Parts: sequence; C-alpha cells; structure tokens
Amino acid sequence: MRLKFLLLAVMLSCISAFAQQTKNISGKVIDVKDGSPLSGVTIKGKGSSRVVTSQPDGSFSISLPADISELEFSFVGFADITVGISDNMLVKMSASEKSLNEVVVVGFGRAVKRNLTGSIAKVSGREVENFPAPSFESALQGKAAGVVVESGSGKIGQSIKVRIRGTSSISASSQPFYVIDGLPVTSQSQSDVNNDPTNPLADINPNDIESIEVLKDASAAAIYGARAANGVVLITTKKGRNNQKTQIELNVANSWSNPSRKWSFLDARQYVDLIELAATSDGTYDFKNDLSGYETLDDAVNDYKSFYEGNILDYFSLGTDWKTQEVNTNWQDQLYNKDAMSKQIDLSVTGGNDKTRFFISGFYNDQDAIVINNTFKRYGGRFNLEHNASAKLSLGINVAVSRSQLNRVSNDNAFSTPGQLVAQLPISPLYDSTGALNKNTLYSNGLFDAQFNSDEQVTFRTLGNAFANYNIIPSLSFRSEFGADILNLDQQAFQGKETIDGGGIGKGNFITSQNVVFNTNNYFTYAPKIGENHKLNAVLGMSYQQGDVSQTFSYGEEYPSDAIKNLAGATSITASSSTGFRYTFLSYFLRGNYSYKNKYLFSASVRTDASSRFGPENRYGWFPAGSVGWVLSEEKFMENISFINFLKLRASWGLTGNAEIGESNYQALYGVSNYPGLPGYIPNQLGNPGLKWEKTAQADAGLEFAVLNNRLNGEVDYYKKHTTDLLLAVNIPATTGYSTILQNLGNMDNQGWEFTLTSRNFDGKFKWTTSINAGYNKNKVLNIGGQVIEGGGGLQRAVEGQPIGVFFMQKFVGVDPETGDAQYLDKDGKITTDYDQAERMVVGKSNPDWTGGFTNTFSYKGFDLNILFTFVQGNNVYNGGGVYMTAGFFNGFDNQTTNMLNAWTQPGDKTDVPRIGYFYGSGSRNSSRWLYEGSYIRLRNVTFGYTMPKKLNTALHITSARLYVAGINLWTATKYPGDPEVNTQTLGNIGGGQDFYTIPQPKTITLGLNVKF
Amino acid sequence: MKQFKNISFIMLVAATLFACDKKLDVLPQQNITPDQIKTASDVKALLFGGYKLMQSASAFGEQYLLMGDLIASESQVDFVGTFTEYRDVQNKTMVANNGVAQTMWANSYTLINTVNTVLDKINLLGDDEKDAIAGEAKFMRGVALFELVNYYAQPYSNGNAGSQPGVPIITAPVYAYDASKDNPARATVEAVYQQVISDLTEAAQSLPDAPEDFRAGKYAAEAFLARVYMNMGNYTGAAQMADDVINNSGLSLVSSFDKCFNNVGNSSEDIFGIQQTSQSNSGTSNGGLTTFYAAQPTGRGDAQMNANYFSFFNDDDARLYYYYEGVSIGGFSGYYTRKWEDFYKTIPVARLAEMYLTRGEANLHSGEQVGDASPADDINIVRSRAGTTPIDEPTVQDFVDERLRELGFEGDRMLTLKRLQMDIDGFSFDDPKLVFPIPQREIDVNKNLAQNPGY
Repeated sequence: MRLKFLLLAVMLSCISAFAQQTKNISGKVIDVKDGSPLSGVTIKGKGSSRVVTSQPDGSFSISLPADISELEFSFVGFADITVGISDNMLVKMSASEKSLNEVVVVGFGRAVKRNLTGSIAKVSGREVENFPAPSFESALQGKAAGVVVESGSGKIGQSIKVRIRGTSSISASSQPFYVIDGLPVTSQSQSDVNNDPTNPLADINPNDIESIEVLKDASAAAIYGARAANGVVLITTKKGRNNQKTQIELNVANSWSNPSRKWSFLDARQYVDLIELAATSDGTYDFKNDLSGYETLDDAVNDYKSFYEGNILDYFSLGTDWKTQEVNTNWQDQLYNKDAMSKQIDLSVTGGNDKTRFFISGFYNDQDAIVINNTFKRYGGRFNLEHNASAKLSLGINVAVSRSQLNRVSNDNAFSTPGQLVAQLPISPLYDSTGALNKNTLYSNGLFDAQFNSDEQVTFRTLGNAFANYNIIPSLSFRSEFGADILNLDQQAFQGKETIDGGGIGKGNFITSQNVVFNTNNYFTYAPKIGENHKLNAVLGMSYQQGDVSQTFSYGEEYPSDAIKNLAGATSITASSSTGFRYTFLSYFLRGNYSYKNKYLFSASVRTDASSRFGPENRYGWFPAGSVGWVLSEEKFMENISFINFLKLRASWGLTGNAEIGESNYQALYGVSNYPGLPGYIPNQLGNPGLKWEKTAQADAGLEFAVLNNRLNGEVDYYKKHTTDLLLAVNIPATTGYSTILQNLGNMDNQGWEFTLTSRNFDGKFKWTTSINAGYNKNKVLNIGGQVIEGGGGLQRAVEGQPIGVFFMQKFVGVDPETGDAQYLDKDGKITTDYDQAERMVVGKSNPDWTGGFTNTFSYKGFDLNILFTFVQGNNVYNGGGVYMTAGFFNGFDNQTTNMLNAWTQPGDKTDVPRIGYFYGSGSRNSSRWLYEGSYIRLRNVTFGYTMPKKLNTALHITSARLYVAGINLWTATKYPGDPEVNTQTLGNIGGGQDFYTIPQPKTITLGLNVKF
Repeated sequence: MKQFKNISFIMLVAATLFACDKKLDVLPQQNITPDQIKTASDVKALLFGGYKLMQSASAFGEQYLLMGDLIASESQVDFVGTFTEYRDVQNKTMVANNGVAQTMWANSYTLINTVNTVLDKINLLGDDEKDAIAGEAKFMRGVALFELVNYYAQPYSNGNAGSQPGVPIITAPVYAYDASKDNPARATVEAVYQQVISDLTEAAQSLPDAPEDFRAGKYAAEAFLARVYMNMGNYTGAAQMADDVINNSGLSLVSSFDKCFNNVGNSSEDIFGIQQTSQSNSGTSNGGLTTFYAAQPTGRGDAQMNANYFSFFNDDDARLYYYYEGVSIGGFSGYYTRKWEDFYKTIPVARLAEMYLTRGEANLHSGEQVGDASPADDINIVRSRAGTTPIDEPTVQDFVDERLRELGFEGDRMLTLKRLQMDIDGFSFDDPKLVFPIPQREIDVNKNLAQNPGY
C-alpha cells in the first residue's frame, strides 16, 4: 500500500518527464585528489527536478528528458559542478573550495557557508572527538575566533565558562544557549549550591557530535531571539546517510594526566631558613623601634627565634629533628594522582538506504582527575533514526541516554579541599609516630577528608527528540519536533567524624534534583523556484519550551560511626525540604533569505518571545535582525583579477535578548518562615511588574575571501554589541523592608575583531595546512546607575567606564629599600606605607583582549600530525592564596612559595618582597602585589597518527585503522607562577581570573585507536 | 482538492501553535504572591513571620542583645574573635559600612514592613480577633523602632530628643518601590519615641493577658513600655508598667537563678521569650547568641566574660558561679557565662526580675511609691533569689550594679548607662562613638538620610 503511495508520488513528481522522451545517463563520480569513488553525491539534471545519488562505488544512473543537456553534481564538502551530458561520464569533484561550500547548520535549517550573511563558526566533530575531557567545550578552546572557553580548573566535571564575543550581562547569566539537534538543553549546574557548579553538558558523549556551530552575530542568532544574547551553540549529532554502507567504528583511548604546572614551594631546609629569617626580621624590627625594650639586638633576635622554633618548628615537626630535615614532606605531591588514568571506549554503527538512515552508538568513559578523589564515569548510548515513510513524509528520533557519576572534592575555599594541602609545613610528617595520619598539622589535615569524606553525584540523562517532515508541495515543507531533556541527579555527600567538615560528629546530606525540559518546534520552510537568478528560502514557525525542576534535600548529622554514609546513619536531621519551579517560553519566528544571482544576498528575521519570567506588562519581546551580503567575486569587474577566487562582504544588525535570571523575579513574593509553633510568611521580594528583556543590539561587518587558487582563505569580522536594559539587582533603601529590586537599568558594550585564516601550504602527497584564528574583544560598562557592584569576593567590580570585572584593590608599588615596608598609592597618587591610607583602584582586568588558536596539520602517506597552540593575551590573574602562601608568615605559618627567600632583610636591599615576619611583616593584605599578567601561549594539542595502508585493511577485514598518540598542554609560556588557566570564580560575570589553591589544568598523554569495519 | 487539503493542514497546524499563551502564567511553588493573602489565617501567618524576624541573629537572636553589651563591654564582655565588625563595636571604632550595622538595620525594617502588611490587611480578620492581631503587629513595630532608636540615635537622655535625628518611621507597607516616597528622612528621636509609645500602648490595650504559643501578650508590651519610660526618665510611667506586670501577669520568679536560662519554652518569669529548636534558631555557626557566647566546641567562644565582672558579686551570690572555663575558636582560653550555653533554647527577652529592678529604681528616682513594695523590697527579692545578702537602703548605683549582676549579657547595660548619663568604657554617654552609623549602603541609596556624626 505504502509502496503504491510512494510510486504515485514519484509518478506525480515526474509527470512532466513522462510526457516527453527520456534518455538514460550513467557514469561515476570520483574525488579528483586520489580517484576514490564518492558515494552519496546528489546528481540532478539541470532544469529538471529528477534527482539521484551516487552509489558506494561512485556510480550513478539517471533517466532524464531528452532536452536536458547538463548534470549538476553537489556533495557536502565539495564544490558544485555542472557537466555536459555524455556517455559513461567520469566526473571528478574537487574538495578545494570545501570551506566555502560547506553546509552549516543554522537555527531551524541549513545553509551553504558561501551564501551566509551572518557570522557562524563551525567546528566539526572530528576536532572535538577523543579529547580527554568530559565535555566537548574543553575541546572548543582555540578553535573558533571570538569563542573564549575557560575550563576553570583541573578538576573534572566542573562548569566551563564560555563567552561568545564577551560578557554581555552583569546580573543575568552570560553563558551561551545550547541546542542539541533542535532541542534546547539544560546546561546550568543542578548540583549542591555550596560547591562549585557542575556541567550537565558532560552527559553528552563528544564522539557522538557531527558538528558544532556557534552563532555569533545577531543575524545568525536572532532566530533564537530572547535566548541568544550570549550567542547560541548548535550541536548536531551524527546521522546515517542515504545509501551508505553500514559502517562500524570503534574508538579506544587511554590517557595519563599530570599537573601542567606546579607551584614552587619551600622544602624543609628552605622553610626552616625562612622561619629563621622571619625571627631575625621581627627581632630586628622590634629592637630598632624599641617596641619591647630589649637591651641588645641579639637578645631580641634570640627571643623571637625561640618563639618561632618552639611554636612552629618543634611543635609541628612532632619530635623529628627539623635541624637536619629528618622530615621533608612535599605536601603538593599529596594532592595529585600520579599519572591519573582515563579510559574511553565507544562503538558506533552508522548506515542507511534511501528509506532509512541510522546512527547507533554506545560509550564508556572512566576518568580520574589529576587531583585525588575526583573521578568521572559515564556510560550510555545514542540512537538516531530517520525514515522516509513516503515521498512526502519522513520521520525519526534522536535519543541519547546516559549515566554519569561524578565524585567531587570540596570547593577551593574549603579547608578540606586537596588544593589547600600545600599550606601544610614541609617539616610536618605525613604520619605520626604510631603510623597514623598526622592530626597535628598547622591546618586540620585535609588528608583525613580525602580519606573519609565522599561526595558522589549520579546523573541519569535522557535526551530525546522525535520529528516529522512533511513536504506539502515541493516548495513547502513542514517540520515538527517534540523533545525532552530529562535530567535526574542524586547527590550524596558524607563527612566523616574525624574530618574538618565532619565537625567531630559526622555530617551528611542527600540532594535529588529532577529537571525536565520539554520543547517543541514547528515550522514551515518555503523555497519556491522563482527563476534562475532568484533564490528564496523562508521559515515561519513557533516553539514552546517548558522547564520543570524539582529538588529535595536533607541534611543530617550525628553519625554513630563512619560506617554508614547515607542519611540512615544520621541520628539528627537538621534540615529537609523540597522545592520546585517551572519556566515557559513561547516563541514565534519568521526568516527570509533571498539571493539574486548568487551575488546579492539578503536575510531578515524576526522573532517574538514571551516568557513566564516576565509579567504580563512586558512579557513579549521583539527581536528583529537583518543582513546583507555581496559576493564581489561574482561581479564582472572581478573576473580579471584571477588570484581572487572568492570575495564576499557582509553586514548585519539585530537584536537579541537575555532572560537568564531565574524564576519569579518580576513578582512580589512572600517566603515561608518556620518560627517554632507559628508557621508564617515573610515578604522577601519586591515585585517589578514592568520588568522586561535585557536586550543586546549587535552590528557585524565581515569579509570572506579565498585567493591563490583557493589555497588561502579567511574571514574578518568586526562587531559591536550594545546591551541595554540590563537586568540588574538595584540597591534600594532597606527601610522599604527590602534591599534590592530587579530593574532594567544600565548598559554595556562589547566590541571586537575576529580573524580566521587558513592556508594550504602544500597540497600534494605531502599536505600541510596552517590555520589561525584570533578574536579581540573590548568590554566597557557604560552605565549602572552610579552603583558599586562587587564580585569575586570583593576584589572585583563593575565600574562605569571600565571593562566588567576589573580588579579593584590597593595598588602595590614595590618595597621601601630602607624599611622593607610594602608601598602603595594613596588617593592623591603618592606613595604610602600605611595600608589604611592606600586607595582602592582599578589595577587590572580578568578578561583577555586577544584569544585564539594556531593550528598546523601535516599529512604524508599514512601519517598525520596536528599541532595546536592556543593563546590568551591582555588579562590578569590574581592569586587569592597569595595572602597566605606568599605573605611572609604575617597571616599564618603556611608553607611559602620559594620567591619569599628574596625577602627584604636589611636597609638597602632592593627587592619586590617586603619584610617578612608573623609580628612585623609588611604588605600581607590584598593588593596588586598578587596580581600577575595572565597572558599565555600553550601547546594545547599535538596529535600524531598513523593510518594503516589499505592492503593491510583487506587482510584484516577492516575498512580502516588509525593509531594515534596525543599530548595535551605539553608546554606553556606565561609570566604567572602557577597555571594561568584557572578561575576559582567559575561562571562569574564580574568575578574571574582568580586563583585560590585552584587545581591546574592537566597535562595529558593519550594513546588511541580508531578502527572502522 | 489537494490545495484545499494543504491549506486546511496549514490552518490546523497554525491553530495548535497559537494556543498555549496561558502557559506563560506560572506561579511560584515555594513562595506566595501578595494576592494569595486572602483569609484571616493568611494574615496571621504574616504576623508569625514577624516572630521569625525577631528570632533572627540580627534581632533578639543575637545582635539586639550582644551589640549593646559590646558597646558597654567594660566589666562585662571581652570579644576575642576575629570578626572585625564585632571587634570594632567593642573598640568603638566602627566604620560606616560595618556589617552588623547593616544587617540589624535591614532586618528591623523587614520586620516593620512585615507587620505593616499585617495592619494593612487587618480587615480580613473578624471582629473577634482583629484588635488583638493589630496589637501584636504594633507590638513588633514598636519594639523594632525602639531597638533602632537605641542603636542608631543619641539617647533620649541627651536632652534634645525633639531635634536629634532618630530613625525613619515607616507605618505603611511597601508593595512596589516608589522612589518619591520610599526614600524617607530620619524622624526625630522624640517622634520615634512617640510612635513607639503609641504602638506599645495600643498593643498593651488589645493583647490578651495570657497569650498562647509564647506569643507577645499585654505584659510583654508593658515590659517594653517600662523600658521606654525608663529611657525617657518617666519614672512614674515606668513604675506603673512594671508594677502591673508584677501584680497581674501571673508570672513569678523561678526558684533559682540558673533555671532562668537554657529552657525549652518560657520559664515562669519570662514575660517574653524567643523560642528556638534544632530546625528553627538564630544560627549555629556564624550567628546567634550561643555561637558567640558558648565556648568550643559548641560555639565559637568569641564573647568571653571580662574578669572584672566577678568583682561585682558577694561570694554568697549564686550568680557569681554561673560560668565555666573554656577556649575560643581562635585558641583563647577564658570564662564563659552559662546564660547562652546551649543551642536551641529559649532566649529570655524580658524577665520578671527586670521588672522588680525597674519598679524599685523608678520609685527611687521619683520618690513616689508605685505598688506595694519599697525600692529595697524590689532589689532584695531579686538578690534573695540569688542567695545573697539584702541591701537595706539601695542607691541608684546599687540598682545599676544589680542590673549588671542580674541582667548581664542580656543587652541591658548600654541602655542603663546611657539613660543615667553615665560614662561607658571611658566615653561620655552621648559620645558619637557609642552610636551606630547609619549603614553606608543606606546613605548611598537614600539621599534623604543624614549620617551620624563621626562617620
């Protein structure tokens, strides 16, 4: 029956063909490079609607009306060509203009890169696969201009900060909007808010990804309207293709990781030396200033020495002989795993015929972080299926399920976190005389926490999307998608009785979170044939998204022992609750693309979004965008300029919005109060019914070119983003009963340049490609109503006239050579040694000016080599731990970094390390003393691969096999004394670029094998 | 025909697309919106919210009591902890952005706004309970304004109450922020006192004699009125209030001093007490009286007893022995009062013992005798409970000292010294350093607020 229907459809569509005489044409399509057959090439008679695709062996056969004289060949990644009909055609297609003819995924559709008028960066799945990190964003770093990816630390499973063309909000989130196969997904942390945020995108298997498109300018992103101000990341998973031989692919990789950079801390000998130096320094200061009335300098120094030796060296060495360094503990080594191991295996099957296409994969991942007690395990599968039910109707599903288990350590600021073990003294033994873990350390010994605490979260994730395509008439189709992202998370933490966090009684908690995002997209695509010179493509549709989140948590304490770790062992429940919220977005969109003679390109879109996050007054926001492109290389006057193969100018303008402020923020709210016996309500939020969308207007101008036989191609963009109506928590008088109200106040600018350049240096048997991308962004806070908005632990601010997140603190300007006092600038710009007189001022910024990547790819015969450098320039990193680890004991006897050995000791010393000493040290409070240049260049990735020769494949009954070895972060150049690629402030807009005992990025060696059957 | 099918298909699809507008109205699930206050019990729930705010560490849970005792710390409290904003209060070196000054101010006004909302919705209540609920709301507003004016303004005894700036008086709820009327200036000290007297008097008239659930009743309002009148030097008024509580409240002194504290529920002499449980309390780690006053490992042990405190007692005084030795979180060993020894216990805000001392002292000042007892009788009923020898002819100084002995660490000392124009830790009673700053944040956002001298 269905067959008949199909037949009917084919007959109908070919009705004109039957009316005339037909002829059969056959031939073969090959790659011009190596003569290999091309499968799946679309072949169409010019002027006819008849279409076929080439077979796996490259052969094709098509029957056409007799008056058709030319065939059009098109294939993803290859240049379209039109060839006159002949017998037994041999058609050679060339991939040389690949980048221009590449198909890119855009919102609610696809487009050829050549015809784009917006700015979209495409990163293929090949570039992110097999990267030894849980989530694909890590692998994006340095791959797309203007996309800044900050992993934040070497802990795994943490949130990853991604900024597309700068930070465009202050109080709302600045993370991009993530869409997988048309389904917006949960990307915000669902974990315990008392620890660092985690990354729900880590539930996605990077090896399932076909491509990642980053929509950067308003023209590209405005189709996502109110969700798009921070940029949109579209992820497309792998699909089967028409008439593709079923292929089985196996990936296996093992990785070994170690810290990329370590701090240089004092060893026992040096620590004892520095302690003695501090005693001398304090004694001398005391004597010279006649503070305690010592008779001689020696008396003073000896007295201080006996204090330091007695209270520190004798006390913490536990009776071992510190004078001979009987104990020399490297505490920094204790916090790292040696050669932390990661294993990854995944198997996929992909294939299809002209009716059904599929991709099936399964994966298993087991990663150990370089830091102890931090592991990530993930397994799951994906099933993508599309079926042509008839000539008009196709339908399918994309489903992925996974289970991820993350074992975590506490945040950087907790005494219990392994990162803070470096504060312990090198003279402190690991074990006491009885062989038990040393309890008598300077700070409570975090190794107890490492041993007895656990914090385990398990996520079950289902991403499912069902869709149907219906071709109403050949030029008009309708697509409907229904999807859900279901995230279930259980988090169980336990702190043992002997640990710092366990408080002597044992504490535990259990948190569950269920987050269900339902989404539907329904849209028409209209692409009428209106003559040779005109191309029109229009999209009209709607989408509706609904998120439902529910959480329960319980906290308990007083455990009989460490044996029971769940709340069954807690004899006292101190808090327990359940909460929930819902959000909805309803959107309508319309987009039209028109091109004339493939030369003049126009695009316009408008979207309206309404959300439950705003009150009825301003619930709807309008987000229009428009863009134009001009392909100069198609013009007559360019014909004679033969070295230019392609040249396009484009410009766009549009509005996008941001509503990432959480729920119920426009409403006046009363919260529940729990006074004993008198359950009640307390007004806790002032409503603002007029609250509306934060809006970003963005203008973009771009140039794309290909020259020298397409050997060199590139792209340049200039953009300016102007954010207005910032969703800002504005301070109001507390006499109202409230302290802030969310208002649309203020504006902020981002502007910048992006450059992408790819050069095929050698293109014969030996291939060498160089590509570089770089982005420059300049942010400026224009107006925030004269308020002071602090972030980053009070060290950073949003200041009008400055980029967001400037470091705002006392400016350290060296050491007085006579006294050893730290010097600062006062409010008149004069030098002062009095910290209280020192003026707080802008001393640096956390966001870089330039970011980018530099890639060289070589291949020769079976060998391939890929070398990627990434760089960041123009930012600062503040070492927040400096006040403890580089402060000369004034704030405690923490082990110090080795540069403290250069401390000032006597008048005339020229040094940048002020006088040290627990009593009379100087310069130990927060100041720009610990602010460093954060610029770096990093050898991000080197991969060397060998693909087995074809002969061997036949013998082994496989299609191909590739063995590779990769190195990540093998080399770094920076002026920062630790790892510059850290950020303890995770996702902050104002806070960023701070190191606080943060775990450095890993340095990893991967050995992997890819086999296709 | 086919065209028609297509069009109808499009229409059908389009119709389904435009049908979910209602989905955009989403109600919060763990909060309510103001329009959900619809019934008498809803209004009472708002009133009960006021008790939670009074339990806060920024109110009677800690700061209303501890801050006064840090100001008048001599012979009473030594703060040995690391929290700068607390040390600054004790050292009289506060800065305008002192964190405690900010939280105490904000919480007090949140309390005022909460009960103003109750008063605004009072017509949702039936006539049988309307007056009593209004009285309870006014009690809380009067108490909050009284605490604010005590901390953020010159004392009434300064003599210029009619011109000294007090604090803003807010008597209407804020439902939406309106910059033109929500940036209030400070009312005078006199005006604040008149509002406090008006609120507490109305409360005393309408509240029940014997409230349920440890809520505020008539005598709680009168006990606070007694404090207000003492501050104003209205000794007759103070004595009358105290006398009414003593004679008619039905309360009685507990048998021994140590039973006044660390109780679950009120004791027989608690006129008003703040209740706590393991799940509802003023804080166990960085806030709350026990957090600061209890030694490690229970609390932080930052607030120790000043050794000179012991010199105020006779050896036979049971109150002298109401302490223990312990260590603070910073490693300082010292003496700790047992008054706030345990978490999750009732905080006595007004005890009957205070009323005896107030009546006695007020009568001594005025030379009248309100009630059936002499000043000596009043002071000695408190002393004899502690097992110490009576004072035959008590002086005002005896009452001041007795208040320190009986009410030490309960937030009384600063008020007593200020109202009697006595020096505090070497500062004159009206020294600007004894007055909290108007929080810098408030000065920044409200141009109509004047800062106190010295900040």
